[in-house]
Amino acid sequence: MNYMSIKLQNVNYIYGIGTGQEKHALKNINLEINDGEFIGLAGHTGSGKSTLVQLLNGLIRASGGTIYYNGQNIYDKLYNMRDLRSRVGLVFQYPEHQLFETTVINDVQFGPKNLGLPQLEVELRSFKALKMTGIGDDLLDVSPFTLSGGQKRRVAIAGILAMQPEVLVLDEPVAGLDPAGRDEILGLLKKLHDDNNITIILVSHSMDDIAKYVDRMLVMNNGEIVLDGKPAEVFQFEKELEQTGLGVPQAVKVIHQLREAGASIKGKPVTAEESASAIYNWLKYS
Amino acid sequence: MLRDITIGQYYPAESAIHRLDPRVKVVATFIYIISLFCFKQLSGYIIAALFFLCMVKLSRVPFKFITRGIKPIIFMLIFTAALNLLWTSGENVLIKAGFITITAEGVKKMVFMALRLVFLIIGSSLMTLTTTPNQLTDAIESLFKPLNKVKVPVHEIAMMMSIALRFIPILVEETDKIMKAQLARGADFESGNVIQRIKSMVPIFIPLFVSAARRANDLALAMDARCYHGGEGRTKMKPLKYKKKDIAAYLVMLCYICLIIAAGRILPV
Repeated sequence: MNYMSIKLQNVNYIYGIGTGQEKHALKNINLEINDGEFIGLAGHTGSGKSTLVQLLNGLIRASGGTIYYNGQNIYDKLYNMRDLRSRVGLVFQYPEHQLFETTVINDVQFGPKNLGLPQLEVELRSFKALKMTGIGDDLLDVSPFTLSGGQKRRVAIAGILAMQPEVLVLDEPVAGLDPAGRDEILGLLKKLHDDNNITIILVSHSMDDIAKYVDRMLVMNNGEIVLDGKPAEVFQFEKELEQTGLGVPQAVKVIHQLREAGASIKGKPVTAEESASAIYNWLKYS
Repeated sequence: MLRDITIGQYYPAESAIHRLDPRVKVVATFIYIISLFCFKQLSGYIIAALFFLCMVKLSRVPFKFITRGIKPIIFMLIFTAALNLLWTSGENVLIKAGFITITAEGVKKMVFMALRLVFLIIGSSLMTLTTTPNQLTDAIESLFKPLNKVKVPVHEIAMMMSIALRFIPILVEETDKIMKAQLARGADFESGNVIQRIKSMVPIFIPLFVSAARRANDLALAMDARCYHGGEGRTKMKPLKYKKKDIAAYLVMLCYICLIIAAGRILPV
């Protein structure tokens, strides 16, 4: 059985070595990401999240330490870095800024074409990806630059999905979208994870988004992973989270405040619905 | 990747040179460059080199940062040196082979010319290393203000300069980001022949131009929203003011140029 995972061992990353403005962005990161996990990566600006995700598909090289993908050292001389990039799909922040083709369908085809697939396969994957992201057939032949912000974002994400990665990493995929667009994209990720068993790493600083969707949560601060666990467990550390400038979801905050006031609410609710039923149970049975 | 490129190459440090008024540094650099052409003999070079070394010591910029400035002009340096070597006529012929004649005067001129160029480059790079681009444009605006009288839009030129400088790191970062985004989509910028490589740049340049246009538009709107209307009647948040140490620096430069000129007249070698 080929068990798939990403493993980081003592990974360090330093920006601007030898320029007099060095910045230690990642400090001794040890992390294992298992196949099929839905991970939320949180941390405020400059905590090293973006640096970490770029390491995962080999876009930048760690200043120290090793990264293993499926047990293979990606810094090995013989390791095929382009193959890694097709397996670990990375959607950057504001991915709509990378669109360049004349039509939507051409832009989505760019990724799979680079993989050297036959034309039929390229088209099949592209249509499928566009369908998944909810881009209608009427938009396939228009210029991507004429689309709305949310549509552009979905086309850009489709461009990565068309490569059919095993691991999908998204850096703030819902930044700047309206609530409807946000739910749509996060719902799509959930569906991808549940149906196709893709490993998803979602970088976000919205604790509410993370609480609702992920199974495991990582919190970064100053280039270190400070908390790692299920959202319900991580949110117990409200003080620590606030110190790193993050806080907890609104629903968790309400529960914590009620408890401080003396309410004996059971369980570790995370989402608004869970909190509501926990409060309901407390009112009913106490 | 591209983040490693240093344009504008300011080296942050706390030093007497860093704290000087940027106008002093611009004028001093100008004087230093002129001084390089005021002498013909060895002693002049020694004085210029010693003076420069003192300034480097004062500025606390590591020496390797200063010599780094020579790298891009190394080709020009060799070319100039070769021209001087081959096209200088003189009496003491060292080598004569066919149409190539190398004279002792030629060798001397080559060495001195190359030294002059090196001093020129590292002298001005000391200025850019110790002055932020914004200070530099402020200094240029202030120094060229008299040209306003002859209808030169000094403020506008300085503003364009500072905007351009401000946008260099932003666009470099943007290019880096777009490059990475396309690499993540399997783009290949390194293999293939020249035409294939140029073609592979399209996915970088189109998003870059689109984003540059968008940023320029946003900036124009933001300036308009704050009622920017050019330089007329505009005051500065941090106006440049000469202090005692700036006057002292001017005096040091005056002494230096006198010394160089005097050395050129008096000393035999």
